[in-house]
Amino acid sequence: MSTTETKRKALLISPELCIGCRGCQTACKSWNQLPGLPTKNTGTMQNPPDISASTFNIIRYSEVPSQTNALRWLFVSRRCMHCDDAGCMKICPAPGALFKTKEGAVAFNRDKCIGCKLCVAGCPFDVPRYDAKDKIGKCDLCAGRIAEGLSPACAKTCPTGAIKYGDRDGLIASAKKAGYAKLYGEADLGGLGALYAFKDAPKIYGMNEDPAIPESVIFWHKVLKPLSIIGLGGVLAGALIHYAAVGPHKDEEEGK
Amino acid sequence: MSEMVRKASVEEIINHWIMAISCLLLIITGYGFLFKLEQMNAVFGSFNTMRAVHNWAGVIFTISLFATLFNYLHEALTYDADDWAWIRMGGGYLSRMPVKAPPMGKLNTGQKLYYLAILLAGAVIAVSGFAIWQVSGNRMLTLVSHLTHNLAFLLFVVAVPAHAYLGTLANPGTFRIMVYGTVPIEFARKKYPKWMKEMGKK
Repeated sequence: MSTTETKRKALLISPELCIGCRGCQTACKSWNQLPGLPTKNTGTMQNPPDISASTFNIIRYSEVPSQTNALRWLFVSRRCMHCDDAGCMKICPAPGALFKTKEGAVAFNRDKCIGCKLCVAGCPFDVPRYDAKDKIGKCDLCAGRIAEGLSPACAKTCPTGAIKYGDRDGLIASAKKAGYAKLYGEADLGGLGALYAFKDAPKIYGMNEDPAIPESVIFWHKVLKPLSIIGLGGVLAGALIHYAAVGPHKDEEEGK
Repeated sequence: MSEMVRKASVEEIINHWIMAISCLLLIITGYGFLFKLEQMNAVFGSFNTMRAVHNWAGVIFTISLFATLFNYLHEALTYDADDWAWIRMGGGYLSRMPVKAPPMGKLNTGQKLYYLAILLAGAVIAVSGFAIWQVSGNRMLTLVSHLTHNLAFLLFVVAVPAHAYLGTLANPGTFRIMVYGTVPIEFARKKYPKWMKEMGKK
């Protein structure tokens, strides 16, 4: 057993360095043995149009021209964000279906997934997808690779360093040194495992400015779950006390 | 042998057993999901199997609950001054001293209110459960269903054990209604005087 605790790992994504080659998409499909699916041209380089149970990551291409820059084309890697406080794991009813690896990745076990799809509702980033057999499929930060000290397939293949993998603290420090005052995902949801170095407001890059686990899920977790134990326990204890202190109803005594 | 009065028909007895067993199964598996109790695998083998048990027990429970509408709904919606008196004294359940409860019909006020609560919570838990099971792609619907399913669950885990206790240990002589459907006439005269009067058996 190692004496030092494994440090939390993360991806640092720098859209400004991305050339939109989609090598990350191909490497992901290759390593995870995911099939290519028929797609269609929708007038954008973004292809396939969205992540799916067999497409764990995509490059999102967005055209956001501004007054100073008539041709602004942004490439942003979209995938599971590996939240520290993950909504999918919170709402999931099946033990072991979604789990944290020691590196901090949110991984999944297809055999333990019961196909209820509640994780889809719990995720603040609309990430979990289901295959034809109703089993979850999503980026797991190449859990098998990182457990062996390798980097995820997407980061390994990225030719420009737009996707970097490493110790989360180290990545944050290096980005700060490079002049990024604040990274997207530094503090959200306990800190994301996918950090983004944006030069502009995250909204411009198509990101949710204030990601959070749905209020109803937090209420359920913090209030309803304990209440269901207190409620049942209270009634059982109440019945026991009633039986001991008052005892069963006796008709003969009535109306004396 | 004293004269017996039939309080529950054979259909009612069978339906109540179906409802009781499916409800218990739903509550147990429900706790399994709520707290990710891996120990449940010792009983159900896997969470996939437990999910099937939970879903189909839910279907059986829903049908069973629907069937009760014909048995108890009318009675459960009928109230008079005695019911208010009953509520004021809490049915005498909590009193240490023996008290005389107001005269009741076939169902007492507590039983009528319990039935309405289970009917309402049952409708909510059935609809929301069906939505979680069968409808995907609408995040808001799933979240609302998830929340209401758990709110209704809370009522079930409080009300059902109380109902079971009151119908067995707390009131000797009542459990036989769930088994035989009959009670001795003296018992019926004490417990359901107004119903006996209606039946002309006073």
